[in-house]
Amino acid sequence: MAALLEVRDLTIEFTTKAGIVHAVEGASFDVERGEALGLAGESGCGKTTTALALMRLLPYNGRIVRGSISFAGRSLVPLEEASMRAIRWKEMSIVFQGAMNSLNPVQRVGRQIAEPIILHEDADSDVALKRAGDLLELVGISRNRLNDYPHEFSGGMRQRVMIAMALACDPKLVIADEPVTALDVMIQAQILDLLERLRRELDLAMILISHDLSVLADTCEQVTIMYAGKTMESGKTMDLFTDPKHPYTQGLVGAFPDIRGPRNMPEAIPGDVPSLISPPSGCVFHPRCKFAFDRCSNAEPELSELAPGRRAACFLYPEVTEVPGRSMPIATR
Amino acid sequence: MDLDIRRGEVFCLVGESGCGKTSTGKAILKLVEATDGDILLEMPQEDARTYDEARTRPDDPRSREALDGVRRKYSVTWKENLPWAAGQILIFVLAILAATFLAIFVPSLALGVLRDPFASPWPIIGFCLSIGLILGSVGSLPPTRISRRTRVIVALLTLGSVVIAPVAVLFIHRALTGDTSRFEVGAAMASPWAEDPAAMILGLGLAVSAAGGACALLLDWRERSEGLTGIRMRSIRRRLQLIFQDPYESLNPKQSVYEIISEPLAVNRISRNPEETSASVREALSDVGLRPPEEFIFRFPHELSGGQRQRVSIAAALVLQPDFIVADEPVSMLDVSIRTEILDVMMELRSRRDLTYLFITHDLSLAWVIADRIAVMYLGKIVELGTTEQVIGHPMHPYTKALISVVPSPDPRHKVERIILKGERPDPVDIPSGCRFHPRCPLAFERCGWAAEEVADQLRSLKADGLLAGAGDFEVSEAGTVRVSVGSLSADALVMELNALLSERRDAYLPLKGIAEVRAANGAIELSLHESSEPPLLEIEPGNFVACHLVTQPAPIGPSVTA
Repeated sequence: MAALLEVRDLTIEFTTKAGIVHAVEGASFDVERGEALGLAGESGCGKTTTALALMRLLPYNGRIVRGSISFAGRSLVPLEEASMRAIRWKEMSIVFQGAMNSLNPVQRVGRQIAEPIILHEDADSDVALKRAGDLLELVGISRNRLNDYPHEFSGGMRQRVMIAMALACDPKLVIADEPVTALDVMIQAQILDLLERLRRELDLAMILISHDLSVLADTCEQVTIMYAGKTMESGKTMDLFTDPKHPYTQGLVGAFPDIRGPRNMPEAIPGDVPSLISPPSGCVFHPRCKFAFDRCSNAEPELSELAPGRRAACFLYPEVTEVPGRSMPIATR
Repeated sequence: MDLDIRRGEVFCLVGESGCGKTSTGKAILKLVEATDGDILLEMPQEDARTYDEARTRPDDPRSREALDGVRRKYSVTWKENLPWAAGQILIFVLAILAATFLAIFVPSLALGVLRDPFASPWPIIGFCLSIGLILGSVGSLPPTRISRRTRVIVALLTLGSVVIAPVAVLFIHRALTGDTSRFEVGAAMASPWAEDPAAMILGLGLAVSAAGGACALLLDWRERSEGLTGIRMRSIRRRLQLIFQDPYESLNPKQSVYEIISEPLAVNRISRNPEETSASVREALSDVGLRPPEEFIFRFPHELSGGQRQRVSIAAALVLQPDFIVADEPVSMLDVSIRTEILDVMMELRSRRDLTYLFITHDLSLAWVIADRIAVMYLGKIVELGTTEQVIGHPMHPYTKALISVVPSPDPRHKVERIILKGERPDPVDIPSGCRFHPRCPLAFERCGWAAEEVADQLRSLKADGLLAGAGDFEVSEAGTVRVSVGSLSADALVMELNALLSERRDAYLPLKGIAEVRAANGAIELSLHESSEPPLLEIEPGNFVACHLVTQPAPIGPSVTA
C-alpha cells in the first residue's frame, strides 16, 4: 500500500527583491498512516516552507517549481484551489508556529473551534459546538470552558485549543510546526504526551517540525534533517540519532546537551546558515563541514540510500574509500 | 530564599516560568527592590558565619548589632539606619536660620555698600554667617548622599565662612576706619528696613525661598534616605552585570556596536578619553570572539546575525570588567548551533576573567552541562539545592525528579518514564498551604498541607462520580475541618462508607490523605485534617539541601481512621 503522504523532489522558490530564494530543493519523504515524521534543522532551513507547501498555503511570492505531493493517492500540486480547500482541514491540518498566540482574542474558543466544522462539514452551529466540546475534552480541557475567551487560558491550554482546532474535521494528517517551542518543560511534556496519545487513539499521521532534536527523538519514528533547503539525511529516529552519518546531523546531535548522558559541553557547528539566494556551490554544508574535501565544493552529493530506509547526501558515503587519508567520521556520541 | 554563590562558579537557577527565577536575578542587581532580606557582596567566610549565627537570634540586641555591622559592610540592599530625625531637624534649623540671616543681611549689605561701604561691617559678617549655615546644612547630609571628600571640603568652607571670614571682615573694617567703638547690631540691621520698602520685599522674598529650599531638601532627603544611592551603588553596579535573553530586543537598533558597548563606560564615567574608550570596546569585542573588532565596531544590530548580537550584548556587559554576571536565559532564543558558541564564549570568559555567573534557565539539560551548583525553584522558593551531580544525578525532591524526567534527550536510547505533573503552576497570589508543591505532587502524603477546601473539593467530585452517593453537602468549617452533612444514608453508615473510601482510595485521590479522623458529631460528620507545615530547606547531605517532608522527616502517619 502506498504511503499516506508521498513527497518527491519538492522544490520551492520565493521571488524577492533581492533575488530568487531557493527555500526548498528536492525534498522527498513519505509519511505512513499513523506514523510521525520529524523535520529538523536550524532556523531558515526550509522546514516551515515545506509544511506550508504541503498545505498549499505558500505566500503569493512562493511557488512549487517542481516535484510532487501525493496525499492519499491524490496529487496535490496541480490541484485547483477549490478542491484543495476540500482537503485542507478535513484531511490534513496544521498547527502553525506560535499558533497559541493566533487565537482571536475577542471570540470565545468554542466558537473558534466550531468554525472549521461549520465551514467544512456544513454542520449547524449547535452540532459544531457540541463537537467542539468533545474536542476540548479530547485534548484534556473541560467542556465547561467552551465559552471562555483565549486570555482566560494559559499558553499550554491555548496550544491544546489549537490542537483541538486542527483535529476539528477528523484529519488523517496533522502538521505541527514547533508545537512546543516557547512552552515550559512540564507543559512541553504535557503537549507531547497529548500528541502521542491522540496519534495512538485517532491513528493520526503527524509531521512534527522542530529545531529541537531531543523533542523529535522522543516522539517520532522517522526523522528528516534539512539544511539550507536541502535534505541532508533521513531515516529511522533510533538509527539517525544513535549513529548519525551526515556531518551536519552529527553536528546537530552533538550540539544538544543530554541530561541523561555524560556532562560534556555540547559542540558548536561553526559558521552560519548560508544565504538561500546564493547558496554555496557543491554541497551546501561544505563551508561549515569539518570533513569537507575538494569534491564537496565542486559537485553536489545525491541523497543516496545507505541502508534500507536510511539516506544521506554526503560524499563520505558510500564511497568513503575513495577519500584517501581521511578517517571515517565517528558519531559524536 | 537563602542562596550563596561562590566566586568563580556557575550557579544555575532552574524552574518553570513564573517560579521567580528572573525576579531573583533582578533583585540581586537591584533592578527590582527586594521587599525584605539582604544581598551581601564579597562577604568573607568569618563574616558570613557571624551573619548566619546572628540571624538565628533575631531578638538579641547584640546579634542585631552584628547583623547591622555585616550589612553595612557588604549589603547591596542595606538601608542606612542613621538617626534620621535628629539629622533632619539639624539641617532644617540650620537652613531656616540661614534663610533668615540672608533675608536680613542681604538688603542691609546691598544698601549699606551702596551708601557707604565702610559704614558698618555687620551686613557683610551676617552674610558670611548665613552662607556658612547653608554650607553647614549641606555638610550634615547623611553619608549616603555625599562622599567623604565633599564633606571635608564643605566643613572647611563652613568653618571659613562662620569663623574666619567674619573675624577678618571685622579686623579689616577696624583697620580701615580706625573705628574701635561698639556697633549697634540691631540698629545696623533695622535701618535699611525702615528706610527702604524695596529692601524689605527683597528680604522677605529671600527668606521665603530659602525656607522653601530647606523644606524641599528635607523632603528629598526623606525620599532618598532608603538604600544605597549614588556613589556607592554606582561602584557596585559596575561589578554586577546582566546578560539579557533576547538579543533581538535588548540591543538598540539605532545604536552602532560601538555606541552600545561604550555606553556603559560613559554612564559609569569610567574611561577618561576617547582612546581609552575605543581600546576597551575593542578588547571587549575580541574577548567575545568578534574578531577583528574593526569589522564589527561600526555595524548596527540589523547587520549582525543572532549569535553576533548576543556576543555584542555580552561584550556590553563585559566592558565594565564585572565580577558577577546574571545571565537570564542567555541562549534560549538562539539556534542550536549558535547556542553552543555563546556558551563556549561565556565559559571561556569565566576562566579568563574569573567571572561568577548566576545562570537563569528553564533548560535542565543546559544546567547539567554548565552548572557547578543548581537551585531548583518552585513558586518562589528553593525546593532543592546542591551540586549538579547531586541535583540532577540524584534528585531528591519529587518536583526535581519530575522536571528531570520530562527533559527530552537527543538520544532515543535514553528513554525514561516521564513523570508528567498535572496542571500548571498555581497562582503566586494564592500559594497553597503547607508545602506549596503538594497539589501537583504525585507523592504527596498526610503531612504535606492539605487544606480543608482541597479535601472538600475532592469529596464533591467523588460524589459527582457517584462514589459517595449517600452524603449530603461538604462544607468547610471555620475550624478548618470538613463537615459532611447526612444525605440518604445514616450518619453511622456514612462514617463506614467514608472510612472504606479512605482505606481503599487514598492513593488514587491524594487529597483524601489529608483526612486525619472521621467523627460523627451533631447529626453530621466531621473530618479533621492532619497538621502540616511548610517543609524547611534542610541539608540532607553536605551541600545538598531539600525542602520536602518526604525526604527530611518521612515519619509515616498511619491512617488514623476511627469509627
